[in-house]
Amino acid sequence: MVMRLLLKSARRFYLRHPWQLALAIAGISLGVAVYVGVDLANDSARRAFELSSEALLGRTTHRLLPVGGPLPETLYAELVTERGVSRAAPIVEGELRLGSGPGRRYTLLGVDPLKEGAVRGFVGYAPGSAGDVGRLMLEPGAVLLPETVAAEIGAETGHELDVHVDGRPVTISVAGFVRDAEAGADAPAVADVSTAQILTGKLGELDRIDLRLDTEAARALASDPPPGTTLVAVDDGRGGFGELTRAFRTNLTALGLLALVVGMFLIYSTMAFAIVQRRKVMGTLIAVGLDRRQLLAATLLEAVFIGGIATIAGLALGHLLAQGLVDLVLRTIGDLYFAERVAAAEPSRWIYVKGASLGIVATLVAALGPSLDAARSAPAATLRRAALERRSRRRARLAAWWAVPALAAAAIAVAADPRNLYLGFAALFFVLAAGALLTPAATGALMRLAAPAAERGFGLPGTLAVRGVTASLSRTGVATAALAVAVATVIGIGLMISSFRASLVEWLDTTLTADLYVSLASAVLPDGEPVDAILDLPGVAGVSMTRFARLPTAEGEVSLRAVRPGPDGWGLELTSGGDDAYQRLERGPAVAVSEAFAFQRRLDVGGTLTLPTPGGTARFPIVAVYRDYNTGSSAALMSLESYARIWGDDSITSLGVHIADNADPQAVEASLARLLPASSGARIRSTSGLVDVSLAIFDRTFKITEVLRILAASIAFLGVLSALLSIQLEKGRENAVLRAIGFSARQLGVLTLTQTFLLGLAAGLAAMPVGAALAALLVHVINRRSFGWSMELVLSPGPLLSGLALAVGAALLAGVVPALRTRRLAVAGALREE
Amino acid sequence: MDQVQLTRVCKAYGSQRVLDNVDFCANRGEFVVVIGRSGSGKSTLLNLIGGLDEPDSGSVAIGDTRLDRISEAERALFRRTRIGFVFQFFNLIPTLTVAENIELPLALNGLARPAIADRVGALLDELGIGESARRFPEELSGGEQQRVAIARAVAHEPDIVLADEPTGNLDLETAERVLHLLNETCRRRGATLLMATHGREVVGLADRVVTIRHGRIEAATW
Repeated sequence: MVMRLLLKSARRFYLRHPWQLALAIAGISLGVAVYVGVDLANDSARRAFELSSEALLGRTTHRLLPVGGPLPETLYAELVTERGVSRAAPIVEGELRLGSGPGRRYTLLGVDPLKEGAVRGFVGYAPGSAGDVGRLMLEPGAVLLPETVAAEIGAETGHELDVHVDGRPVTISVAGFVRDAEAGADAPAVADVSTAQILTGKLGELDRIDLRLDTEAARALASDPPPGTTLVAVDDGRGGFGELTRAFRTNLTALGLLALVVGMFLIYSTMAFAIVQRRKVMGTLIAVGLDRRQLLAATLLEAVFIGGIATIAGLALGHLLAQGLVDLVLRTIGDLYFAERVAAAEPSRWIYVKGASLGIVATLVAALGPSLDAARSAPAATLRRAALERRSRRRARLAAWWAVPALAAAAIAVAADPRNLYLGFAALFFVLAAGALLTPAATGALMRLAAPAAERGFGLPGTLAVRGVTASLSRTGVATAALAVAVATVIGIGLMISSFRASLVEWLDTTLTADLYVSLASAVLPDGEPVDAILDLPGVAGVSMTRFARLPTAEGEVSLRAVRPGPDGWGLELTSGGDDAYQRLERGPAVAVSEAFAFQRRLDVGGTLTLPTPGGTARFPIVAVYRDYNTGSSAALMSLESYARIWGDDSITSLGVHIADNADPQAVEASLARLLPASSGARIRSTSGLVDVSLAIFDRTFKITEVLRILAASIAFLGVLSALLSIQLEKGRENAVLRAIGFSARQLGVLTLTQTFLLGLAAGLAAMPVGAALAALLVHVINRRSFGWSMELVLSPGPLLSGLALAVGAALLAGVVPALRTRRLAVAGALREE
Repeated sequence: MDQVQLTRVCKAYGSQRVLDNVDFCANRGEFVVVIGRSGSGKSTLLNLIGGLDEPDSGSVAIGDTRLDRISEAERALFRRTRIGFVFQFFNLIPTLTVAENIELPLALNGLARPAIADRVGALLDELGIGESARRFPEELSGGEQQRVAIARAVAHEPDIVLADEPTGNLDLETAERVLHLLNETCRRRGATLLMATHGREVVGLADRVVTIRHGRIEAATW
């Protein structure tokens, strides 16, 4: 009976304060939505990539890969006939680009349809009639297109299409379609291996041989691989990108959790306020004999009701949000780690359960503090607002002291293990917690500082505005802390992005020493055509040459860049290595390793890197570690001469053209284009074009981060709107008195806006150092531990000031509604209410 | 000419008619008590005179100012300069000290800082609350709070002081002291004092008593 009455009272309270109820629900649901949305998008992306790699790898257990040159196709026959490996499938891989769809890339998989069933099973889900397989094997240029792609471009069986394969313009014939794998992951385009050899220009060569081996056979082949090959277990190959995508997703999850933390502050703020506002009623209830436990149970039950409604709304909102986010996640991971497009997959339903639990628990936790507080207080104290405010001021001072151990915990978490990503995130949350704990006291301090100026500038209304903030600390404290945490997050992420961008620009400037870059369709000799012809072009000061090679190792593939530097040197930004590093590289054999590679494999100058060579594995001394923001983590570099000598391969695959100072770059580019027309398969790109593309990819990569920033800002805005609106609603009577004394509606509006401005200013100022600390952690700890990248922290004023502007703007905007309400205030009515 | 003149004033809240064709007047310096039960319409009468509310029909004139014909901004200015309010629940601003609460109407009227300080000092002494000048309202007793409210109401030397149940929240002894203080303070300034109450204790002090019942003025006693 008592509980029914209490709940009825709560229901009526919210019916009388529908804004407060709406804001509480909006706050909780937004917090839940962000977490669920990010989690759903992540899970969908993870499943899509699993399905996609499943489609490409099938039941393959091992791969036989070439070392230092192509894999001759005769090796396949030798493997089957002489070594008795029956479950083997030859593979030629290429990149297929549709002529009509800019930027859309697909994997072209050249397979032997008759052998496929043993390792993978394309025949199983490609339209399986014998006629199709026959056409695939016999018809020149026959390709099975992914079903979705064919539908998109309106291609039908028998159609001829002009496409690019590995940059070469070719014509293919549509022989049929490959159905997408079951949960929507894109399938590759499939051709017969001989067709793929023609289309990619790899006549008589294979890229790899996929194998299905038992442990014994694998051990035998690994111990005695055919010359110029190495055996790699499929799991090892997957490890590299698995690690990277995991780091990317962990980062995203952490951002989602950050949004949830901000959301929780908002939930706390709204729930705490709803309860704090009824302390007087609660005091009266206790005074008339209500059991404290009953009171506590009633308020918690009320929180469950509100949390429940809001969580359901949050789950629906999160579901919608995920649909937008998943595309961003997939595109980002695709840009970073994959050549092929990957479609979204159905995420796990458990995420909704997890989101629902989080929403309810967060609401309960948020409601517990103020409920306990109200239930424990003596009735007389509960009835007195002054007692509450005094206690709030005391708590604000105490909370500020608690920031010290929180910061110490952050420092310990950072120092405990320099490689542990989760401890890095823990440090991030400790810093945020410290910021939240410091904010109420900082607000009080700022108001004390502002008081004389406010009084001088605006007289008593100014004093009223300043005191209104500090005197309502029970209401404003949590709201300011919530706003500060949200804004600090926005500032931190903004600073991290701008720091990263600045480092990337600097790195590109150092790395791209040439003016034009030429990717050749096929490997050429450094002292033959077309290199000599390029060097003879007027205005060309010199060339740098590069040979890319992918070397399989037991720990995964290593991207080796063999370089002969041009007139402007190696173009490396060394993070470790002595002054003689370049001489040692030139003298060789020696390698430099990328920073990410060094971090992941714990490599450093003075150590060695083991690489497979035609003469067996060899250990190369590491003479330098260089900065590299390319996303392939395992990158190494050596001199072209060393590579040619050791691997017996003296060809090059790309050139950097250095233009003389007095030459016209456009004229040089034009004559280069005449020398190497697009039909030759060569691609010419200017340095500025490469920079633009790199920055475009960078911006696209951080788009999702931007989205989360905007969401955090929205939560901040909602939080402060909710708190300020509630505070101003509560001040109805006080405002009425001021109107009765002679305040005009405009003056009262200005007073309200001044208070909200001060609140926003306090939150913004408190958020600036916290945001900078977060950025430092993101740059030096999180990015380092996730990707192995180091970068400079640039405290550019843009993100800091925009954070301050966001706080003040959000607060001012949130103050507009209450300020407008004061204009419509029914003074007599408000005075009558007591 | 009467200082306060209400003619055939009607006021309703929703379907409930609170004032029904009320005629009322008060002269300058007069102390008029409006007696009536709760809900009889006496507070509404005071709110109309103070410009806190607007009549549905009829006219409300204070001197030569027709409150029913001026804008809200003009009414705010009118309240700021010519009206002082004393409420049952004191309605002091909790975030301002006693002295600052009294300063508020003076500051609103644009008085210079020294003049404000002088006048606040004098009022604190006159009302016997000088020692509480720097304290906050919550630290005062009910009687003390009402003294501060009286000081705030008369600080800017208004023509009219409107007191709505000013003793309703005080014990008998304190109520009597507050009533005398309010009466004397207004008389010293020549201000008209209109007081709404449901008790008859104050009748002996008043110049005139008006009884209001169901929104109609039933009797006036001189």
